[in-house]
Amino acid sequence: MQDLLRVIFSYGFLSSVFRMATPLIFVALAALIGSKADVLCIAYEGIMLFAAFGGVIGSAYAHSLTVGLLSGFLMGLILTAIFAYFVLYLNAEPMIVGLALNIFGSAGTVFGLFLFTGSKSSSSTLASLTFPAVQIPLIKDIPVLGDILSGHNLLTYLAFVAVGVVYFLVFRTALGLRIRSVGEAPHAAESLGINVKRTKFIALMISGLLASLGGMFMSMAYLPNFSRDMISGRGFIGIAAQNLGGGRPLLTMIWTLGFGAADALGNTAQSFRLPSQFAQMTPYLVTLIGLVLMSVSVKKRSQKKLLAKGEKA
Amino acid sequence: MKNKLALGKRELNTAQVTLRFRLIRTAISLLLGLAVAFLLILWVSDNPMRDMSNLLVGPLSNTHRIAVLVNMFVPLLFTGTAVSLMFSAGQINLAAEGAFFSGAVVGTCVALIPGIPFVLHFLLCALAAAISGAFFTGIPALMNAKFKVMTVVSSLMINYVALFAGLYIILNIVRDPTAGFEASYKFQKSAQLPVLIPGTTIHVGLIIGFLMVFLGWFIQYKTGFGYQYRTIGKNPRFAKFSGIPVASTLVAVQMLGGAIAGIGGATEVLSLYDRFSYGGLTNHGWDGIMMAVLARNNPKYIPLAALFLAYIRTSADVLNRTSQVPTEVVNIVQAVIIIFIAAERFLYGWEHRSIVKLSEQRLEAQNEQLQEQ
Repeated sequence: MQDLLRVIFSYGFLSSVFRMATPLIFVALAALIGSKADVLCIAYEGIMLFAAFGGVIGSAYAHSLTVGLLSGFLMGLILTAIFAYFVLYLNAEPMIVGLALNIFGSAGTVFGLFLFTGSKSSSSTLASLTFPAVQIPLIKDIPVLGDILSGHNLLTYLAFVAVGVVYFLVFRTALGLRIRSVGEAPHAAESLGINVKRTKFIALMISGLLASLGGMFMSMAYLPNFSRDMISGRGFIGIAAQNLGGGRPLLTMIWTLGFGAADALGNTAQSFRLPSQFAQMTPYLVTLIGLVLMSVSVKKRSQKKLLAKGEKA
Repeated sequence: MKNKLALGKRELNTAQVTLRFRLIRTAISLLLGLAVAFLLILWVSDNPMRDMSNLLVGPLSNTHRIAVLVNMFVPLLFTGTAVSLMFSAGQINLAAEGAFFSGAVVGTCVALIPGIPFVLHFLLCALAAAISGAFFTGIPALMNAKFKVMTVVSSLMINYVALFAGLYIILNIVRDPTAGFEASYKFQKSAQLPVLIPGTTIHVGLIIGFLMVFLGWFIQYKTGFGYQYRTIGKNPRFAKFSGIPVASTLVAVQMLGGAIAGIGGATEVLSLYDRFSYGGLTNHGWDGIMMAVLARNNPKYIPLAALFLAYIRTSADVLNRTSQVPTEVVNIVQAVIIIFIAAERFLYGWEHRSIVKLSEQRLEAQNEQLQEQ
């Protein structure tokens, strides 16, 4: 037990928390923008898989990280656009389209993998590129802080930057205001001349862009190649983190770090011969408990608000 | 006045046109799916003609394949019915997956107990599986009823809890160390379901599956409880104001769905295998969602939808054995079909024009009658 605690409080553990949390931050932010526009997209699993696959294929054949990044974005956005088109313009039930696209993402990437490599399990025969790790000058020389904060993957830093960017986009720009207004009161927004469907479409595309980054982190940083179904539920956890964060970017990020910690803990617990199933179950149990706690606190807050209003009146 | 408005041929009303277009849309979606399959096969196959004919008639070419088809068909009856019930109540509960898995695990545990007579033993397994299935769909339902937690998210999470709890039980408590692979001890003979048609692997689960479909249909359309939850599914506020106990009805129907899925899990392992050897979730719950979408949440159509899915799955199996076409082709087809069936406004222009034409004809007829008068 003491050994376990020592591992948890080591620098290595903290830095692996950041690593595990990176894809979750991206997809949780994606889900956040989707929820601001009031579209429930569960297709992030498929979108992330497509992007992860696109990034690997692009970078392997063009020998260029930029091309990889672009083709990853392209693949992710294609799936997002299909989702958006069917949900917004063909009135399809978002849940069902999301479900179908997750199946499509999984099967389509395995099919593509088979076409390109002849293997149905991983792209390890392709010489695909990875995003570089970044040493932050100055900070990397500080004893403890340097070990924790420096030397992460480029995308990990980008994920934390993205939290700020998303906050700014949603709460400080005209586009963000439009996205929130079509989410909260579509009719009111329409009466002000906002094109509701187009705004939702744009919001979904931004969200697809973020999810694509999460997907590419998996195949071009977390692992050096694509392997089938490698997202394994991260898209869903991102949605859960968004729910727990209640639409607030910073809180959402904190929850994803919590999930990252649970993931990292699961990996550590396995090496201490604790039943690995319990460790693997932890993030999901934590989500369930967290969801209940969140809703209780939201309820209390809204009751307080009502009471306060009552007193004023 | 109204019955004088006959237009010569059988009169259609708007609802009937809508229904007809639902059928057309389903048919076109299926054709589109098959077209995609053909294209993909054409792309990767070195013998497209052979592979396409395998895709179309492969499952029927010998009795072994027909048995495979039937065995793929059986679990879909359970999860399809389970999801139909929950979706009819307007609840997007995705925990049928976990319920099916937990049913298989719990059924396994009960099936290991020696000394219980045949038939009774399976019934006990099914009962235990039903309880555990109901537990896993019931928790997200309760969380929604008590705390307004989104069922979609909580039910997704509970699937993984069911998975890892189940794996823990199988790999730590009832694991057979002599099996040579990760699996439970062998089931007692008294718990296993007998073969229905001698010489094949088609088993009694087929009958149990149809019983569940009938049960689901009966509850949904012939009982007060079914009427209540369908009303909630259509309009929760109306249901509430007409005095239906919304929260408890919703929890009950979701637990019922989970119970059916759980029995499906137990039936599946106790008929096809002699020990539990799943290493992960089986996807039967997700398939159940596709069943429900195809059948528009009516258990009556679940066998048809299940037959379709089992058929293309068997085709995929045949392709996998006889060619280099990856099985994933079928999953792609499945996704294409679901997405087009779900697209309510797909072919909307055509539907709309038909309805407009119909109304115009009616108006004309009405005007003529008025002029005659």
